[in-house]
Amino acid sequence: MKSVLVALTGGALLLAALTVAAQPQLPGAGFGRGGGRGGSGPSDTDTREYDKRDFSGLWSRSPDQYQLTPCPECRDPATWPGYGFFGETPPLTEEGQRRFDENRPSRGIELGTPEAARRAEIHAGYRRAVLPAFGNDPEMRCEPLGLARLITFAGIGAAMEIVQTSDRMVQLFEWTWDFRDIWMDGRGIPNVEDYLPRFNGYSVGRWEGDTLVVTSTGFDDRQWLDQYGFPISDQAVLEERWERPSPNRLRVQLRLIDPAIYTAPWDSSPKVWALIPKEKMAIGGWSGILEDRCVPSDESLFNTFRDRAAGVGEEGAAGGE
Amino acid sequence: MKRLTGMSRRSSGRARVLLAAVLIAAGGAFAHHGSAISYDTANLWTTWATVTQFNYLNPHPTMTFDRMVGDGEVEHWVAEILSNPSTMARQGWTRKRTVDALAPGTRVKLSLGTSRAGGFSAIVMRMENEAGEAIGGGFAGPGATDLDGVPGGLQPTGDAVLPGEEAN
Repeated sequence: MKSVLVALTGGALLLAALTVAAQPQLPGAGFGRGGGRGGSGPSDTDTREYDKRDFSGLWSRSPDQYQLTPCPECRDPATWPGYGFFGETPPLTEEGQRRFDENRPSRGIELGTPEAARRAEIHAGYRRAVLPAFGNDPEMRCEPLGLARLITFAGIGAAMEIVQTSDRMVQLFEWTWDFRDIWMDGRGIPNVEDYLPRFNGYSVGRWEGDTLVVTSTGFDDRQWLDQYGFPISDQAVLEERWERPSPNRLRVQLRLIDPAIYTAPWDSSPKVWALIPKEKMAIGGWSGILEDRCVPSDESLFNTFRDRAAGVGEEGAAGGE
Repeated sequence: MKRLTGMSRRSSGRARVLLAAVLIAAGGAFAHHGSAISYDTANLWTTWATVTQFNYLNPHPTMTFDRMVGDGEVEHWVAEILSNPSTMARQGWTRKRTVDALAPGTRVKLSLGTSRAGGFSAIVMRMENEAGEAIGGGFAGPGATDLDGVPGGLQPTGDAVLPGEEAN
């Protein structure tokens, strides 16, 4: 071990140190309901006047990627093995457990390792990662991610944009080039029996003070709640509470109510984004989010390499440009 | 955990934790498509290689390359790239620039983690051209060992079942 540690590059040490520095060490400051395991205090020191009900713009949870001041509270705490819904997972129903067991994620702590055993304080869903070649994550087939997964991934690397009008808010997600709309024209939640299920559901929003409260229903139950294979049913209701606590921060707390799968409502950990000026999110002078699609034929090519790494599919690692 | 051969070394749990921390620190740039678990990223090695194919595609670029291991013997490798097109583009590595820099026949120095299943399959953590300039961003983690010309590089071996393998 000593030789390995000695061999660590300066860059690795620096990055590791930055990681430790960037990870919130304390619970959140009581944001939202349930609290979850929120980030540290706000890092935005901008004192300019702003409209707390204007969420429009480009948002990222990694502002340092755009040469902006880092946002420690934008990161999920190091308690968690990556990014996801998080918070305290309620006990699963019998049906929920059956579906949970069917899902074999490839993110999180590797199944069967000492670390998986050591981290028994977190849900088993975060401690069961298998090689992608042996998993069944729908993302690995370019299937739609679904709303909660889009939100909880948005901004980690790929960005999110919000376009807002007087009666509608549209969220555009860079990874998978997907979107959802939130209607704020006073319409009610639809009777989902009358509509086809959607991966991103049907969403209506209303203002409670400066908090936008969004309710979504009508989900396609083939999606995973997040990358750890937590299931969701077509009867699920997702509540979101969005706030803009400072000029350059956007924050949401999610609550999943899905009695077919979970025995109690599940509150996520808070998610925080940083506002990215459009001139900072530009390539060759063209600003905005990228068309970061998951293209099935590209994914299939990638999977020939992925499978080869698992000792299967020895043929086929060719093609492309 | 599979046993490792190829040179004297030990997998270090601490090194793995540190590498994981580095990958997390790098955020989305290295939010790999779940595949990092397929490779031994705690024991990285470097080698000169010749690009035979490069695919600038989602979810992560892929490539094939040859490496000369002596007496004219050539190994043919397949590999994933750690980064992804959107991150690379934002770092200035747009499609054209990257594809031009990695045209077939280009000699590059690669930092690799070999697949845990063994064989000539790897994840590329970092690439450099013959002028020593980094190509496409990326990161070389702890303990990268120069194995230019050493047959097979660092090849995991052993009979342990890889996570999830028993279900298939």
